[in-house]
Amino acid sequence: MLAFIVRRVIAAFGILLAGTFIAYVLVALSGDPLQRLREDNSPGREERIASMTERLDLDTPVPLRYVKWLGGASQCVLPFLGKCDLGQSVRGQDVSSLLGNAMTSTLQLITVATITAAIIGVMVGIITALRQYSRLDYTATLASFLFVSLPLFWFAVLLKQYIAIDLNDWLADPAVSLPTAAIVGVVSGLVWASIIGGDRRRVWTSFAGAFVVSAGGLLVLAETGWFRSPGLGPIVVAVVGLAAAVGLTALLAGFRYRNVLYAALATAVAGIVANLALDSVLFNPSWGVLFLLLLLAVGIAVGIGYAIGGMQRRQAITTSVWVTIVMGTTIVADRMLTAWDNYFEFVDGRVIATFGSETPNYDGGTWGNLLDTVTHLALPTVALILVSVATYSRYTRASMLEVMNQDYVRTARSKGLTDRTVVVRHALRNGLIPITTLMAFDLAGLIGGAVITETVFGWQGMGFMFVDALRNVDPNPAMAFFLVTGIVAVLFNMLADIAYAYLDPRIRLG
Amino acid sequence: MTQPNQPSQPSSDDPFVDHRSMGAAGPDPLGLAEAAAGQVSSADRAHLGQLGTSAVGTEELLRVDNLSVDFPTDDGVVHAVRGVSYSLRSGEVLGIVGESGSGKSVSSMAVMGLLPRSARINGSISFRGESVLDMPPAVQRSLRGRKIAMIFQDPMTAMNPVHTVGDQLAEAVLSHELMPKRKAMARAEEALAMVGIPQPKQRLRNYPHEFSGGMRQRAMIAMAIINDPDVIIADEPTTALDVTVQAQILEKLVEVKDAIGAAIVLITHDLGVVAGMTHRVLVMYAGRAVEVGETDDIFYRTRMPYTAGLLGSIPGLDSESDGRLRPIHGSPPSLINLPSGCPFSPRCPLASELCRQEEPDLMATDVMGHVAACHHWQRLAEADDPTAFFRTESEVSK
Amino acid sequence: MSTPVDPRPVASAEAEGMAIVARTQAQLVRRRFFRHRLAMASLVVFMAVLLLSFSATGIGPIPGWWKHDYTTVATVVDGGRPTLSVVPTFLGGDGVHLGEHPFGQDNKGIDYFALTMRGTQISVMIAFIVGTLGSFIGVLIGAAAGFFRGWTETILMRFTDIIIIMPLLAICAVIANQAGNAGPFWLAVVISLFTWTGLARIVRGEFLSLREKEFVEAARAAGTPAWRIIRKHILPNTLGVILVSATLSLAGAVILETSLSFLGFGVKPPDTSLGRLISDYQSAFVTRPWLFIWPGVFIVTIALTVNFIGDGLRDAFDPRQNKVRS
Ligand SMILES: Nc1ncnc2c1ncn2[C@@H]1O[C@H](COP(=O)(O)OP(=O)(O)O)[C@@H](O)[C@H]1O
Ligand code: SF4
Ligand SMILES: [Mg+2]
Repeated sequence: MLAFIVRRVIAAFGILLAGTFIAYVLVALSGDPLQRLREDNSPGREERIASMTERLDLDTPVPLRYVKWLGGASQCVLPFLGKCDLGQSVRGQDVSSLLGNAMTSTLQLITVATITAAIIGVMVGIITALRQYSRLDYTATLASFLFVSLPLFWFAVLLKQYIAIDLNDWLADPAVSLPTAAIVGVVSGLVWASIIGGDRRRVWTSFAGAFVVSAGGLLVLAETGWFRSPGLGPIVVAVVGLAAAVGLTALLAGFRYRNVLYAALATAVAGIVANLALDSVLFNPSWGVLFLLLLLAVGIAVGIGYAIGGMQRRQAITTSVWVTIVMGTTIVADRMLTAWDNYFEFVDGRVIATFGSETPNYDGGTWGNLLDTVTHLALPTVALILVSVATYSRYTRASMLEVMNQDYVRTARSKGLTDRTVVVRHALRNGLIPITTLMAFDLAGLIGGAVITETVFGWQGMGFMFVDALRNVDPNPAMAFFLVTGIVAVLFNMLADIAYAYLDPRIRLG
Repeated sequence: MTQPNQPSQPSSDDPFVDHRSMGAAGPDPLGLAEAAAGQVSSADRAHLGQLGTSAVGTEELLRVDNLSVDFPTDDGVVHAVRGVSYSLRSGEVLGIVGESGSGKSVSSMAVMGLLPRSARINGSISFRGESVLDMPPAVQRSLRGRKIAMIFQDPMTAMNPVHTVGDQLAEAVLSHELMPKRKAMARAEEALAMVGIPQPKQRLRNYPHEFSGGMRQRAMIAMAIINDPDVIIADEPTTALDVTVQAQILEKLVEVKDAIGAAIVLITHDLGVVAGMTHRVLVMYAGRAVEVGETDDIFYRTRMPYTAGLLGSIPGLDSESDGRLRPIHGSPPSLINLPSGCPFSPRCPLASELCRQEEPDLMATDVMGHVAACHHWQRLAEADDPTAFFRTESEVSK
Repeated sequence: MSTPVDPRPVASAEAEGMAIVARTQAQLVRRRFFRHRLAMASLVVFMAVLLLSFSATGIGPIPGWWKHDYTTVATVVDGGRPTLSVVPTFLGGDGVHLGEHPFGQDNKGIDYFALTMRGTQISVMIAFIVGTLGSFIGVLIGAAAGFFRGWTETILMRFTDIIIIMPLLAICAVIANQAGNAGPFWLAVVISLFTWTGLARIVRGEFLSLREKEFVEAARAAGTPAWRIIRKHILPNTLGVILVSATLSLAGAVILETSLSFLGFGVKPPDTSLGRLISDYQSAFVTRPWLFIWPGVFIVTIALTVNFIGDGLRDAFDPRQNKVRS
């Protein structure tokens, strides 16, 4: 395994070197930075040309210039070598400092997009594979074709100019009409009925249940003014925690042996108590404190699973940890929404942001700033992930279907395992291994998408910087973009290879 | 077909054995004779005695009545199984033989309840008198792997590559009985030891790819016997293995069957495999049982041309003559649009107008308890060598 | 079975079998594709869009049937609102008619239907070149790598790895910026230089597995030259994969080109493409949404239908076609 990793790292370096070289040459050939100065006939032209030539090192032949550039750039990548130097922009700014700011918001966007797309896509893929040829499957298939065929830039503009405005108008005066509630109810009923499946009676029961809960819930929330000032509160947190305990036990272990359920419920109760007891700590914690709390919570969950799990210790620990993750997310959402009113006022009711990555001059503490980030991420993320969600769901579906047809799944069923165990332990485990490779591949697409998304939504990220640089014939910022994306691509491909090898014992051990 | 059965006990001076060794010495470019002879003779020598001692009980474990299975597909309905019936008694070994695609696997998957949801199943399957098809899914599941276990053809793909062999064995126990993992692992170790895997404790921690093909098939047998099932369905357990390993695996199968007192349904496309192993044989063609009888009768008192053709294609097994192969020409009919009449008629050297008009049902023959689906079984009964109806390769090319 | 014994029985039997299989296979594929309703409907719609766009504004010197030109500036009528109406009068609408400017006019008074049709032409043309040329390069590189193995494979696949780590849109933007000035054709050629990587990997994989197959080994043992083995034995068996992938890459190319043009790095004035139109009029969205909507609708239609056609082809070629409907 170690030799494998070393080999991959060396290969990655080689690829990165060659890739940046090609990009450097192409960028250098893509335009002449002096063009505009030459056409300009105002006095002092010669000096400006001379200083630009000097700044961008234009007298050096391109390959040599690349070597020089690489010397500076390598100091950004390898630590302790000295000062990071990515050259200067045509306006004389230091590119490495330009990049620093731009990178943060882009990486934020891409990370959130990757995680969201992977979760949604993989879930849809699994469900449609298990319900192959159902109406839900056909709908999801059609939707994914549509998503792949929607031009991102067009859809992003549509979201920004159309959806965002309507959504904000609605949030300013949130009312739900009966027909709206009915439509939402019908859609939700159809979706749940096809997910749950079963015989006719069960289909109708799930349809009716989902209809009543969604439509009724929507109306109740609207009547009580929840949308005007949304929040969850300790009771909802408690209900979500207990429901997660039951649901995750059903999914991961079943109820035949009760200890797993007890462990999950104990974890949920611990979470509920902690949420109440730590009220003052959670009022405005720093990120460091939050991280420590998360670690602590996971530790406690492991402990509970270990102590109560009995004969199914492993499942109990897994279930408890998942319960903790669900509860943690709910608590964070709950706390974040406490900042809603304050934020609502600050942005004049235009909560869903359409420009930039943060509201200038807004400081609402940990939770307020988180809410600000979330509202800024919402639309760009939705626009960006459509293609990825489609890719993940198609890929997962195909992979799951293939695995479900494998001999070893038939063997598993012939042993008398429950459907749940067959799917979770045998099909999922094998079906999701190739997703590691897909994640690396999809990341490249997301980076390309970020270029467009940032342009449409006015994010001052790397993509924006890149487009701006190309328009201004400004080679160094453009190269900085290729350097970062190249590193990310190579790194993730390498990680995917290693993860794949680790997850598949045939490669790990042989 | 519920006639009383006695196991065949060919003695070592049986002429049958001689034929085989003679065949093995004859011209055999593919080396198949050695394979067949190796399997059968070692099975005889080592285990026919055991087979004999484990007498067939009287209790009827498994009964399949008029089973049919259809698959609706884009190209039409596939009639994979068309009215198959058999019964299996405790301790009995029943062979199901037929070309690939004849419905052997589908019929046994129906017994296991492992067919895809799209399959339309008719007829009845009962285990110890209870109808399997009418059981609620949870009860059906509790039979699988605990009362009726299955061994599959390809040991290379039948085990999950990402879990250890020990985990996969223990899982079979844990899915039916609650116990600490440790205990289940101990059971797994016992089972591995029983099928003759050396150092079973260490082997538990291995992944399937670290096992050789034969070892994996042993592990599969261990997985099948780990819950002491009453019935083991072995679907071509040796087809994917090296010829040298095949005999060992069959030997092991008989040995563990006797140890735990299970009955076996042994599925194969190779009559040579059933020769020394089974009490009774059911021959399948195009989704139907076309001949059922005691193993000896199937070999020596063949009453169905298809079976005769199968016998003629075993190197060295064809009686009399020159030891040359007399294979069946052509291929089995499409199961979507079956021709009228006997499905074997396009390939049958005895086919008459009647055969092309009317599909024969299983009918009693001159041999007690031996049934065949052939209008002209008498002609086989009259012939000295039924395989002689089929032409050899050289006769064909003339 | 009455054929005389052949001196090379295995090879000849295999070849014979292959020919039979290939013919029935092709028939099967065609039948499956024509039965794929969505793909057939998509094919019809796609053809209709092609016909409409190419006949309306004409091809090169051949004039089209549409009365307006995509360059002629005119006075803006009724704020440039579209005159297209599809609601019949008896349903309370304005009746079914095209009117003077069915898609409206842009701010200079240019007929927007003519512009959209011209944009569609250019976008489809570019996508077509990228789809075929890019796939051709991919097949060439993948086939060479998969068939010759050894250092050829190492070099070609490393090269593929290098191209793949550069974000496609970004690297295309860099080169398209210059190539766009040379006209749509060169833009397409240059884009194809970067879109072949996926297919190259697929084709290499197919070749690697096919070259181990008995019929290829038999042919090789019989001394058949490499190019003949590739052409006769391997390519026909990879045709499905290549065709499907090329079709899907055509849909991808539509999106890629329009994205580049949207960013301002693709098709340059005086020519136009669907992406340019959207880019030019995105700020007009609030006041004159049709300037933004129409080109988008055409992009989605083209990409969607081509994707469906590709899917239909994939279903038709997929040997695991034993689809069981419950
Ligand atoms: N899921 C399925 N859908 C459609 N046809 C099937 C399915 N499973 C098996 N068949 C068909 O049923 C027939 C019998 O198959 P099988 O029982 O596997 O034959 P064998 O005797 O070789 O075990 C074959 O023609 C096969 O194609
Ligand atoms: S019924 Fe006729 S065709 Fe069928 S096996 Fe008997 S003789 Fe042959
Ligand atoms: Mg079979």
